[in-house]
Amino acid sequence: MGKVIVITSGKGGVGKTTTTANLGTGLAAAGQKVCLVDTDIGLRNLDVVMGLENRIVYDLLHVVEGQCRLRQALIKDKQFGDRLVLLPAPQTREKDAVTPEQMKELMKELREEYDFVLLDSPAGIEHGFKNAVAGADAAIVVTTPEIAAVRDADRIIGLLEAAELYDPGLVINRVRPGMVRRGDMMSISDIDDILAIDILGVVPDDQDIIVSTNRGEPVVTDSKSRAGQAYRNIVRRILGEEVPLMNLQERGVMNWFKRILSGEAQ
Amino acid sequence: MPQRAFFQGSSAKLLVKQGTLTSSQIDEIEGLLAQHGMRLDRRPPNLGISPRERGPVPESEPERLEDSTLLVRRTIRSGQRLHYDGNVVVMGDVNPGAEIVCSGDILVLGALRGVAHAGAEGKTDAIVFAFRLEPTQLRIAHLISRAPDEKLPQPQGPEVARVVGDRIQLSVYSH
Repeated sequence: MGKVIVITSGKGGVGKTTTTANLGTGLAAAGQKVCLVDTDIGLRNLDVVMGLENRIVYDLLHVVEGQCRLRQALIKDKQFGDRLVLLPAPQTREKDAVTPEQMKELMKELREEYDFVLLDSPAGIEHGFKNAVAGADAAIVVTTPEIAAVRDADRIIGLLEAAELYDPGLVINRVRPGMVRRGDMMSISDIDDILAIDILGVVPDDQDIIVSTNRGEPVVTDSKSRAGQAYRNIVRRILGEEVPLMNLQERGVMNWFKRILSGEAQ
Repeated sequence: MPQRAFFQGSSAKLLVKQGTLTSSQIDEIEGLLAQHGMRLDRRPPNLGISPRERGPVPESEPERLEDSTLLVRRTIRSGQRLHYDGNVVVMGDVNPGAEIVCSGDILVLGALRGVAHAGAEGKTDAIVFAFRLEPTQLRIAHLISRAPDEKLPQPQGPEVARVVGDRIQLSVYSH
């Protein structure tokens, strides 16, 4: 029996889709059978981030309406094949075309076949969010170190509790250690102070993400990328390993020198 | 005496703010006033409201406020609103964007960062207490205060907010 995890945030643009793509790819690389489901009906983009856009024939709506078999709609990943599949969101139809009951049924089916089902939730707290949450066993909340994103994450944690999804894991995305050090960005402890849920991982702001997203190859497979390392750590934590949060200090001689001057490097 | 001459022939009304007077006490007062040339007006004073509109007399008001207290054993998060007729005790935080409105006192055994409205039905002696009192906005009865726009140092210990005069005042909690 697999585990269905919804990846959600409330606020848009904090990196739900990137997180879903990277965790899915990372879990597959760790030998798990993974299915990614894009529930952002009408605004799909998980397929783009995965670089699978040109292979879509059927989507989520076709499946729940019985116009195709589930297996026909699942798109195999370029790198991992059968171990990593994507169920894309319909691009054109109305967003309330799918009901929470249909999602629950679909998840029941996918849970049989896969170790992990990751649901990429749309932004907001309306119908699409309710759909995404309906069939989930656990939740991951993504936020960035901004007050608005943290506020929305807090709202989402409350709504997840109402949907009986307790103890979500938190992913803090796009952290810029230099800004945090200068007091220009919320720190991890500032965020933890308000949200007070388990921190699953902290992902540094990294240009590699933009490059990899445009290329359709999740950064998690890039062994040189700092963000990739952060995602690999999250994958290990999801699989039950204890991994300490990584040191986010920027590397490089200049940064090392700056830290020496400010008395931070010991 | 000039003062005596001034009050000569005037009439006085008796307003009892607390407690009651027996009719013999009133007779005594009337006698005292008469010695100074004043007359006691025994008609009930007109306060602009009829006795019925004034509602039940304090003695017969049920002690409901003190009795009912809601215990919340979790954190109240952004977007969540709690309304209660009585006191509220939160064992957790009240996060920014959350709101508590109640007719009695509010006690937060954690950080209060949202909006709290105590004594919402006009109880001006209601209090708001928190281990970390950093509210977005604080209301007691009809009074409103908000956090200043500049950042304040974090409170070092439990604080309590209460109405002093016509303002809400925060002070370090001590009993």
